[in-house]
Amino acid sequence: MASRQLVRVAAQSVKIPQRAICTSAVRSSDHDVVLDPKTRDRIYPKLGNRDIVGFGLNGMASYIDSTDFPCPAIRFKENTPDVLALREKEKQEWSSMTLEEKRELYRASFCQTFAEMKAPKGEWKSILACVIMGLCMSGGLLLWMKWSVYPELPRTITREWQEKEVRRMVDLGSGAITGVSSKWDYEKGQWKN
Amino acid sequence: MFRIAQRVGSTVQCVVRNNIQKSSAAVFVRHSHGKQESDEDFDNRYEAYFNRPDIDGWELRKAMNDLQGMDMVPEPRIIIAALKACRKLNDFALAVRYLEAVQEKCGSRKNEIWPYLEQEIRPTLDSLGILTPEEMGYGKPELAIQDVYSM
Repeated sequence: MASRQLVRVAAQSVKIPQRAICTSAVRSSDHDVVLDPKTRDRIYPKLGNRDIVGFGLNGMASYIDSTDFPCPAIRFKENTPDVLALREKEKQEWSSMTLEEKRELYRASFCQTFAEMKAPKGEWKSILACVIMGLCMSGGLLLWMKWSVYPELPRTITREWQEKEVRRMVDLGSGAITGVSSKWDYEKGQWKN
Repeated sequence: MFRIAQRVGSTVQCVVRNNIQKSSAAVFVRHSHGKQESDEDFDNRYEAYFNRPDIDGWELRKAMNDLQGMDMVPEPRIIIAALKACRKLNDFALAVRYLEAVQEKCGSRKNEIWPYLEQEIRPTLDSLGILTPEEMGYGKPELAIQDVYSM
């Protein structure tokens, strides 16, 4: 009697950990995740009746084609009767399936093949166009600034003016010790070597 | 007084010695990064993983995604085990997808590596009825996709 009571107490105490909360989706023995339809519609309103077949990129049931992650979390196409019939056929020998059926199956699971993912998109053209447009705009801005914003250059900026200026400095003997006049030979009338 | 000082001193010494022993143990732990797994062990591990009789689609895809993130091309026996797992789970598309992923892993050396891999896995491909991406017609881009940003 006492031992039976003990067992009952033990059973009751064991029940507590059973109430632990499990938040992960329940996985069936085969492929897909079993979410009850209401929860599924709430979490993934656009999923339709596609199978959730894996973890995917980040745990969300979204479809992404990526060469780094070959297996996305869901199948690309919904489970239409055609696809389901093919899936049934898939359970038999694969060598008995035709090429068309195999291709159909692939496209039901995946959107793009690797070759299509990596195909050049011609994006460089639009990038080049943008770069050239930017260069043209900045060049045009520069021309406009020169044309109508900046004032005239000072009159001293010409070559003749600067030559005359040096001539005058030499005549005045400016910088006779280490400056410009020290390099002028007054006897020969030319620059010292 | 000296005796007290001596006692305190010995206690301090003891504490310090203990600490030193502890910290040296910590340093020892910190320096060891566990056992380095050899390539052989790695291959065995993944082959055994794919060969598990109760593997499911989630685990299969997870391992494929993981392998895709590693800096290596999987050994033929790993590929064979993965293909057999696909057969077990009745997922033909996944098998072809994985072969494409392996080709992608060959990178710029595809011309050298893929022929070897194909020669090694050819018996499995034939017995399971799996086609290579080229045989499926996926060697070159087949369909164009509309840009999602201009839909």
